[in-house]
Amino acid sequence: VSKRIAVLVFPGTNSEDETLRLLRDCGGDAHLVHWSRAQTLPSYDAYVLPGGFAYEDRIRAGAIAAHDAAMDHVIAGAKQGKLVFGICNGAQVLLEAGLVPGTGPVRLPTAAFTRNGPVAHFVCAHVHIKLAIDPVRCAITAALPRGAVVPAWAANGEGRLAADARHLQELQEGNHIAFVYAHADGSVDDTASPNQSALGVAGLINREGNVLAIMPHPERDAWAFNHPDKRRGDDILATSGGAVLFRSFVQALARA
Amino acid sequence: MPRCSSKVRRPGWPVPEVAGVALRSDELARIRERLGREPSEVEVHAFDAQWSEHCSYKSSRHQLKRLPTTGTFVVLGPAEDSGILHLGEHHGERYGIVIAHESHNHPSQVVPFEGAATGIGGIVRDVLCMGAQVIAVADPLRFGRIDDPHSHQRYVAQGVVDGISAYGNAIGVPNIAGDVYFDERFDDNCLVNVVAMGIVKESQIIHSYAPPGADGWDLVLVGKATDPSGFGGASFSSLTLDAADEESNKGAVQVPDPFLKSVIMRASYRVFAYLREHGLRVGFKDLGAGGIMGCSAEITSAGGYGARIDLDAVNVAVDGMRPEVIAVGETQERLLWAVPPTVTPQLLRIYNDEFTLPEIAYNARAVKIGTVTATQRYVLMHRGETVMDVDIEFLTGSIRDDLPTSDHAVHQTTTERPLVTGVQLDELLERVIAHQDVCSREPLYRRYDAVVRGCTVIPRGAADAGVLAPIPGSKLGVALSVAGNPRYSRIDVHLAAEHAVYEAVRKVVATGGRPIGLTDCLNFGNPRKIDHYTELVTAIDGLAQAAERFRTPFVSGNVSLYNESASGKAIPASPVVACVGAFNDINTVVTMPFKAPGSVLYLIGKPQGALGGSVLLDVLGRSDEHLPRIDYETVLAQHDLLYEAAQARLLRSARAIGNGGLVVALCVMAFATMRKGQSPVGAQIDDSWQWTHGSVGNLEAYFGESGGFVIEVAADDIEAFEGMADDVPGVCEIGVTIDRPVLAIDDEAFDLHRLRHMWYAPLSEVYP
Repeated sequence: VSKRIAVLVFPGTNSEDETLRLLRDCGGDAHLVHWSRAQTLPSYDAYVLPGGFAYEDRIRAGAIAAHDAAMDHVIAGAKQGKLVFGICNGAQVLLEAGLVPGTGPVRLPTAAFTRNGPVAHFVCAHVHIKLAIDPVRCAITAALPRGAVVPAWAANGEGRLAADARHLQELQEGNHIAFVYAHADGSVDDTASPNQSALGVAGLINREGNVLAIMPHPERDAWAFNHPDKRRGDDILATSGGAVLFRSFVQALARA
Repeated sequence: MPRCSSKVRRPGWPVPEVAGVALRSDELARIRERLGREPSEVEVHAFDAQWSEHCSYKSSRHQLKRLPTTGTFVVLGPAEDSGILHLGEHHGERYGIVIAHESHNHPSQVVPFEGAATGIGGIVRDVLCMGAQVIAVADPLRFGRIDDPHSHQRYVAQGVVDGISAYGNAIGVPNIAGDVYFDERFDDNCLVNVVAMGIVKESQIIHSYAPPGADGWDLVLVGKATDPSGFGGASFSSLTLDAADEESNKGAVQVPDPFLKSVIMRASYRVFAYLREHGLRVGFKDLGAGGIMGCSAEITSAGGYGARIDLDAVNVAVDGMRPEVIAVGETQERLLWAVPPTVTPQLLRIYNDEFTLPEIAYNARAVKIGTVTATQRYVLMHRGETVMDVDIEFLTGSIRDDLPTSDHAVHQTTTERPLVTGVQLDELLERVIAHQDVCSREPLYRRYDAVVRGCTVIPRGAADAGVLAPIPGSKLGVALSVAGNPRYSRIDVHLAAEHAVYEAVRKVVATGGRPIGLTDCLNFGNPRKIDHYTELVTAIDGLAQAAERFRTPFVSGNVSLYNESASGKAIPASPVVACVGAFNDINTVVTMPFKAPGSVLYLIGKPQGALGGSVLLDVLGRSDEHLPRIDYETVLAQHDLLYEAAQARLLRSARAIGNGGLVVALCVMAFATMRKGQSPVGAQIDDSWQWTHGSVGNLEAYFGESGGFVIEVAADDIEAFEGMADDVPGVCEIGVTIDRPVLAIDDEAFDLHRLRHMWYAPLSEVYP
C-alpha cells in the first residue's frame, strides 16, 4: 500500500495545484484535503502545507491557520513522527504552530517568519537556497547531496525570520537551520537573502527532523520549462531544479 | 442608511433631473414615454446604470463594429464577458485562451489601493465565468508626474501597485505582463487597465447567457453579502472627475476582498467539474457595473428571456438597504448562475458547505434570488411590491448616442534631416536610460507574484512578453504582452493606435510566439466634446487597420470615456492593446538576456528618420510631428522570419525595440546577464554608417523608435539564419556580443555597470 500524502488547503491557500502536481510527478500519492474535510487527515501518512494566504494572514502570516482544527491533526501526526513539509505560507503556519523549531510549547512560537526588510512589502524574486545541515539530519532532505543548492522563487511579504538572540542561538546550536539563502554558485553572503532574514535563514527543521519549513517555493522552478534558458535540450516537461527536494520527500516517505 | 451621491457636474449637456444620477433629461423623457408613467426610484437608478457608457457603450458600440473580430483562431468574439482564442490541441482536446481587458481608472484616481485591487477582482471574474481557470493577469498603467514624493500623483502610483499586488498575489494568479508610463496629462486622471487570461477546454465553455430551454430556471447569486459600497459606480465611471467631489466619489468605489474571491474561484472550479460530469449546459456571469440588476438583466435578455428577481432573497450585509441600492450597488466578489432548479441544491452545497462561504466572509453565500422567465419583462420585487417592471430589451439593448466628429488631422511622415544635438553620446545615453518611460520596471513588478501556479515559462523582465505553459503535461504555450504609447498619441492618434497593435504584436514575436489575437482598452476623454470623440473614432480606425494587416482580431475589449479632470484637462488618447501569442512547443521560446560572447547581433527593421514621440526628443526638450510609419508588408516578412528562426532554434536572444530605441534594447539585454554568480555579456556595435549607409543619422539609428528587433545568433548558425533572411528586407548585422560588461559603439565604450545603476535607480525611489 502506497503512503498517502495530504496537501492541506486552508481558506486562502493558493499554491495547492502546483504542489500537488509536483508531488505526483515525483511519484507521490498526493491528494488535496480542504479545510471542511479536515477530519480525514489522520488517515494520511504525511502532510504538505502549500503556499498562499491562509485566513488572509490576519494578525500575522500563518497565525490563524495555526489554530485551525485541521492543525490538531497535523500536530498529532508530527508527534507520531509523520513527515510534515510546509512551503511559504505553510512554513509560516508550522512556525506559528510551534512545530518548527519545536523548542517551545505547541502554538507558542519561538521564532516567526515576519515582515520583509529593509522595506516591508511583497517581494517576488528568483533565489537559491543551500542545504546547511547534514542531509540525513532531516528525513525530507536525506536524498540531497551535502551542501545542495536548490533553485526556488521567493514570493512573500513576510519571509524574514525573526527571533530574539536566545532563540537564534538555540536554532544554531540545535542544528535547526536547514537552508540558508545563497547565490547560484553556492556562495553565501549578505546579499543572497531577498528580505534580511536573520542568519540568512530560508528553511528550518524541528529537533526530530521530520518537520521542514521553507520560505521560498522550489515547486515554482521545478519543471524544465520554468527555466527555459538554462535547460534547453532537456525534456522541457520533465521535473528538474527545485523538484529535487520533493523527490527526496517522496523517497523518505517510501522508506518511513 | 447611507446614500452615496456622486454629485458630478457635466458641463455641456442637459442637466439631470434626479440628484446623484447621470441620466440626461432627454433620456429620462424617453423612459417616461416608453413606460407611460413616471419611473420608480429603482427604475431611475437601473436605467442610470444600464444606460451609462460603462454598461451600454452607447457612444462607442457602433464604432467598435469596425474592428476585425473574426479569424482562424477566434472561438468567441466580443459578445460576452470575455473573448476566446484557440490555443491548440492536447490529447484530442481543443483548448481556448480566455481573455478580457478592463479599466478601473476613476476609482483608482480617488482611492488607489481599493480602486486598482477591485480592477483585478473584476477582470478575473470576467474570465472565470466563462468556465475557465484563471492563469494570468497583466496591468498597463499610466500615471501622472511622480517626482514630488508628497504629491497625490505619487500616492496614486504607489497605491495602485500595492492594490494590484495585494489582490493578484492573494488569489494566486501570476502577473506576467504590463507596462507603465508617466505623463503630466495623467496627473488628474490615472489609467489602471487590467487584463486577465484563462484557459478552458473549448467543449466546456460556459456562456454569459441563459441557454435555450432555460424558462423557469433558477438565478443563483454567489458571493459577498450585498452592501452599500459601489452604489453609483457605473455612472461614476461615466462622468468626469471633480476634485471637489473626491470625498463623495469615494463611496462609489467598491471594497475588495481577495480572500473571499480566492475561495469563490476554487469553489467555482469545483462546480465546473460537477457540470462537466453531468454534461450540463448553464449560464454564468460576473456582477460588474449595474450590480444584480445589470447582471440578471443581461444574462437573461442575451438568451431571449426576461427575469423576475426577489430583492428580499439577496444576502445583505446590513438591514434596511433601499431596493435601488440592493439592485444596482456594485458590491465586489459576486457572480450569478442561471441553472435548472435540479442543480441548485448541488450549487448551494458546494459553495456553502464544502467551501463554507458563510464562514469566509460575513453572510457570504450562494442563494437563489430569482427566476428566468419566458416573458420579455424585467421585474424586481421588494417587500411584496413590484419596484421595477420594464421591457427587458428597452433596458439592455436600446440606447445609442450618435455623436458628431470632426476631420482628423493627418500628420506627415516624411523623413527629416538627421538630428544634430551638440550633446555627447554618453550623456544622451545616460539621460535616455534613466528616463521614466525607459528605466527598470523591476522595483514595481517585483511586488507582483509572477510564478504562482508553477506554469510560468517567462516572468516579467526576462522578455518582452510573459509566457506560460498553461496545460500540465502539454508543450503548448501562451504569451501575453501589452502596449500603448501616450507620447505617440499626442502627435497622431491614428498612427499611435496602429503602433499600439504593432508593438503588442512585436513583443509576442520577440519571444518566438505566433500572435493570434488582441484585446483592447480604449481610454479617452469626454465623447460629448467633439475633439475627444474624434480621437476615439480615429483610434478605432487605426486599431482596425493594424489588426487587419497583422491578422490578429480583437476578441474582447473595454471602453473608458470621460477620462478628464473637472478643469477639462483630458488625458492623452490612450488605446491600450494586449496581444495573445501561441506556441506549439515551448522549447522554441526566446528570452531577452544575451547568452554568450562571440554571437552575432542583427538589427531587424530599418531605422527611420522620424523621431516624433521618441524618448530622445523628450530628454532634449524638442518636439517633432513626424511619427515612424509602419510598412506592413516588410514588418510581416520580418515577423515571419523571426518565427521561422525561433522554430529552428537559431535565436539565442531577442528584444523588441521600443522606448529609447536600439541602444536601450542592447543595454537591457546585457543588464540581464549582470547578476552575481553569472558571467556578464556586453555588446560591440559598429558605427551606424556601416549598416544604415547614411540613410538616417547616427542618433536616429541608435535612439529611433520605429520598431524592429535586436537578435543574437550564434556564430555557428549565421549561415542558416542568413539563408532564411535572404529575401527579407531590413535585416542587417550590426555587431557582436563580448565578454565584458561594456557597450562599445565603434571606438567609444560605455560602462554597463554604471548605466545599469542609472537605469535601476529612478523607480526604486518610488517603489523602495
